Parts: sequence; C-alpha cells; structure tokens
Amino acid sequence: MKRPHPRKGAYIALALGISAMGAASFVPGAPLIQPASAKPPAPMAFCHSYPEAKACSTGFADCAACHTTPPARNAFGMQVADKLAPGVGRPLSDQDFLKFLPEALKAVEDLDADGDGYSNIVEIMAGTQTADSNSVPRTLACAADDATRAAGAQWNVCTYDAAYAFKKVHMDFCGSSPTRADIDGFRKITDEKTKLARISEALDKCLDSPYWLGPNGVVWNIANAKIRPAHAVKSGENPGPVPLGDYDDDYNLFTWANSDDHDVRDLLLAQYFVKRTDPVTLQQISEEELAKRPRGTMQPVPKDKRVGMISTRWFGAVNTMFTSIPRTTAAQAYRSYLGFDIARMQGLNTVPHEPMDYDTKGVGAPECAVCHATLDPLSYPFTRYNGISGGYSYNDDRLKDYVRVDGPRVAEAPAGGMIFGQEVADLLEWGKVAANSDAFAMKVAGDYWKLLVGREPDVNDQPEFTRLWRGLKSATTYNYRVEKMLHDLVLTNAYGRP
Amino acid sequence: MRKLTCIGLASLGLLTAACATAPDPAALQFAGDSPAPVASADPRVKFKDGERYLRDLSANLNMPREDICKELSRYDCMTDAFRIVLGGVEAPNLLVNEPIENAALTSPIAVDRVALHVCSKRVRMDKESPADAVLFKAGAYGEDGRSTTPDKAWLSGAADAIYGSILLRSPSEREIQNLAAFYPQVADGREAGSTEVAADWVTLSCFAVASSLEAVFY
Repeated sequence: MKRPHPRKGAYIALALGISAMGAASFVPGAPLIQPASAKPPAPMAFCHSYPEAKACSTGFADCAACHTTPPARNAFGMQVADKLAPGVGRPLSDQDFLKFLPEALKAVEDLDADGDGYSNIVEIMAGTQTADSNSVPRTLACAADDATRAAGAQWNVCTYDAAYAFKKVHMDFCGSSPTRADIDGFRKITDEKTKLARISEALDKCLDSPYWLGPNGVVWNIANAKIRPAHAVKSGENPGPVPLGDYDDDYNLFTWANSDDHDVRDLLLAQYFVKRTDPVTLQQISEEELAKRPRGTMQPVPKDKRVGMISTRWFGAVNTMFTSIPRTTAAQAYRSYLGFDIARMQGLNTVPHEPMDYDTKGVGAPECAVCHATLDPLSYPFTRYNGISGGYSYNDDRLKDYVRVDGPRVAEAPAGGMIFGQEVADLLEWGKVAANSDAFAMKVAGDYWKLLVGREPDVNDQPEFTRLWRGLKSATTYNYRVEKMLHDLVLTNAYGRP
Repeated sequence: MRKLTCIGLASLGLLTAACATAPDPAALQFAGDSPAPVASADPRVKFKDGERYLRDLSANLNMPREDICKELSRYDCMTDAFRIVLGGVEAPNLLVNEPIENAALTSPIAVDRVALHVCSKRVRMDKESPADAVLFKAGAYGEDGRSTTPDKAWLSGAADAIYGSILLRSPSEREIQNLAAFYPQVADGREAGSTEVAADWVTLSCFAVASSLEAVFY
C-alpha cells in the first residue's frame, strides 16, 4: 500500500514562511536576490491559479511545489518551466513570470509529473505532492461492509475507537498500559459519552505523572532540541567540568508554561524563573531568592529585559557565545518556537536594504543575502544580550565592545529589528509578536501532534490540526493552555483511529 | 520503525496484531480463522520505546523496573545499554535530542534480547519461588507434579497466564493451539518428565508473545 510521504519542513513552516517570502518581494525597493529560476512571487501566484487547492489554505504554496532545493526544480517544476513562455528570453522578469505562469500551469494539469497514476491537477487539488510518487490522494473512509466488520473487531479501524484511545492515552502520558481490569472495565462501558469521560479522566491523571511532567519526562524531552543541553558546560546541580550555565532553569520554565493552567506564550514572554520542588511540582522563584544565587547559576538579565526562554543565561551561553550579531541565537529561537528553519529556507521574509552586514561578515553576497535579509533583522534585537563574553547580562552599549574585532560599523547595529514583516523595537517586542503569531501556535500544536500522533500533520489531518492550533489561540477555546488542547487532541480521529 | 514492525511480523506468525505497514490481512489469516480483519486506511501504530516496554513488562510480570533487565548484571537494558536504538533520547551527553526517526538495524535485536532476558528471569524467579509464580506454575504441572507431558489444561492455563500478563487479554483458541503445538518441539530429544522442558517452553512462549507486534507497538 502506498503511503503519503510526510511533508518535509512541516506544514507549520511552509505556509507562513513561503508567504512571507512571496509577500516581501512586492515591497518596493526589496532586493530581488533569488536567482531568476526561483521566483519569490511564485508561491502566491500558484495560489492565484488554484485558490481551492489544499496547499493554498493560507494563500501561499510551498517552495516544494516546484522545487527540490530552490532554484533546482522538481519534476513538476520542470514540466511547468517547459511550458512557461516558450520563446521569450530568459531570465523572465517578475512581471512576465506572473503573466505567463497561469498558462503554463494550465498546460501541465493533465500530465503526471511523478508517474504515480494521478494527474498533476488531481494532486494539486487533493493537496498531495505532484513530484513525489509516494504522495498520492487517499480515501480514509471505509466501505459500508468494511465499517460493519471493523465495528465488531478488536480494534475499529474505520472510526475513532475509544478503547484504543484509552489504552493509548495511558501509554503516551503515563508511560505504561492500563491494567487489565481497567481495560476490561472500559470495554464494558456502552455509553460513548461515558467512554470519552473516562479517557479525559485518565488524561488528567497522567498529565500530573512524573512520566509526563518530571525531569527527563515527556515534556522535558520536547524541550531538548530547543534548549540543546550540554552536560560538559552545565552549572548548578550535577555540574560539568566547565560550568557556564544551568539549563535546569530552562527545562523548568518550559515545563511550567506547558502544564496546568499556564499560558504557553510565557515561553517567549516570561519575566520570571521556575524551580522544581519535587519531580512534578514547579513553583515560581521570587526575585529575592534569585538574587541570592551563587555566581554560577545567577540569571544576570534584569527582570524587565527578560524574554522567556530566549533570554536565559543558558540560551545566551550556547547560542550567542562570543558573537556580536547573534544570528545563531535568533535562528534557534525562530526554529524552536516558530517552526522556521532558516537553514532550510523556511520563514524567509526579506527586509528591504538588508542585510546591512554591520559586522562585515560578507553576508551581503547574493547567495548569503537570500537568507540573511531575513535573519539579520531577526537578530538585531538579540544584540544587547550578552553570551559568554559579558557574563550573560543585558547591556545597551554591548556592541561597542566588538568594534575592535568586527569593525566600527558593528556599533551601529540597531536594537530593533523585524519579524514577520513587523518592526519591533527590542527583544521584548520580538517576543510579543512571536508569541501571538499563528506560527507559534502551529509550532506548539505541531510539537504535540508529532509526539502523540506519530508524524507531522498531513493533508488529511489539516482540518483537525487547524482546529487545534486556532483553538490554542482562541480566548474562548484553549486560551493558550496546552493541557486543554491535549484533551481535544486525544479525541481527534488522527489520534484515536487505529 | 517500519523495519522493526516487519521483522517482528515475520518472526511471529503466532499472533494477530496491527501493523504499521498495513500488510495484506489475508496474508495473516490462518485456515479456519474468521474473515480477515479490515486493514486500516491510515495506520498510526507507534513503537512503545524501551522505557514504556520495560515499564509494561515490569508491571505485568511483577518484576521491579530497576531490576527487570540488566546487561552483564550491571547495566539497565534501556537506560544504559540500548537506550538510543530502543527509541530513547540522551540530550546532555550524547546530544541525541529526539528519538531516531527510523529504527536502527540493531533495534529488533535489542527488543528480542530484552524480551528473552525478561522472560528467562521471570521463569527463573518462578522456579525459585513457586508460591509467587506468575508464568511457570510448576506446582500445577500434572496432577502430582510427575507427569511426563503437560496435559491440555496445564498448557492452556500457562498460555492464558502468558497472554494475560503480557498482552492483558485472553488468548484465542487459535493462539492456545499454536503455543501448545510448540511444546513437542521444545521437548523433542529431551528427558521425558523433566520440568526443565516445561520451564523452557514457558520461557520461549513468553518470548514469542513479548516480542510480538502487539507487545512492542501500540
């Protein structure tokens, strides 16, 4: 049986990232830095032709619709290129590109770029990939006969199976199966509402378990790729040989924001720290207590300059380190909390006249500017936060210390920057714009989706996935409470249909 | 984990289970069985990972988690020995921040090894302390404990204990028959009446069930 190939780079990333890239290219004065064969307006133009296509639900298609790694084209992109304004000299201007693209797309609709038996237009409308033969339209609905048979089987593969979900909730959130008595008892329940209530009760119990909430628990491990701990340079409890910072603070804050009735936006907004008083109990630390910490674990950034997880001592130590323009820090924040990996050309949002290359690293070269026109304005708000050099503190004049190494212009780098096309005055505003963005909600929901469903949301998952991340943002639905969202996630077909 | 799924499937025709790769249900069917189950159109079966696997075996076989499986009698099978290949993470030292995307070549070997280790240990404990036996109830072997071959009721009871302990359900008639049919192969060429034969049969039957898809995936 053919299975759809999970989308690389995630739906979370594709929509806003490409949209930003496309939209920015229309800004007057924006440098058109991409090679002629990868067109910044293309994702939007594609969706003008196919507004009903699933890939266009946000108004912009994925680069992968036509490219492998831009500007290299995939099989579908090559078919389109063949039909695109034949006889007209290359490179095409953006105006000509936009003029001739609809005609070229129309001309290849009935072809089958990946030879999987489904025409390009069928795949475009179904939301599968035209250049990937493993990605084909599927029908999830069971035939009537199958549905009847499945209903009498051990697991009902044709619909949400509450008994399956009940067992799965125990396994995912408590780390072990329910007892046989619990399973047998659950199977005796005939009322569907009661079954769902039992699932919800089991979830509530497990959400407070050490397996879910404790050190090295599930939530803790979600944070690994965001925090990137390294024991060799850990300070505090169980220190490494070269103690620089204590990432326990970061794990505790992450767990706090993702648990109980806490606002998950505090990942990017919190101006407090959290301590663990026992494996599953977290508590905010008073400023007095924080001030009494020994040098190795102190958090030097003043309270009014703190920006959740992205201004901690550890975040500066492992990302900013000794750099003046902390691009790695900004890229890690963008990747970890908003789902955009700039190294994969996700979330590009070209800012006019950027990159300014204040630190004379040569990032203005065309092949570098493709990404740095987004990355550098994202990074400027981090420039006032010290890494290892400067002792992890905040300093308005920090960049003056780098003039000797990076040249005099480095001190001109602004404290403000741009994120998602919005100007921000400092990292505090950066955090606010990020925390309230769709991308943040998609990333939070997507992390849990991948963990619990077992893969990134695919085309067929979009209605349920969209309901979750939009619900996370809605004040009347989950209001940024992760645990509320999880209660609905375990009731989705994606989770509970075997 | 697709490779792991299919290796497990190939090694165990004994059990009916879901499959992440949705094999043709007809291929799993035995003569005389009920009609083949409906295949899932969108299977999302997940690997338990080593920790969940051991926690389940620990709870179900009544063996303390910290002692259930130790390589060289020292190293915990999950935490120390097979952590990464069994789907675990170790961020601070190994920089493995997320579970490996696809099963390692050694993942099925590790699962088999852990399963055999746990089953051998459980049966050894049962022999040492018959009053607390979970799987191998030697005292109930034959009417007077000296029968040369286990009777049908004993085999059926043992199969029920194995399935009930590991998969938390009763075995089907077919599954009991399969395990019972395995007994003569274990006894072949060995001393008649030896309780070791029965103990080995329980150990290997436990291994078969504990390394099945149904036990390893959820």
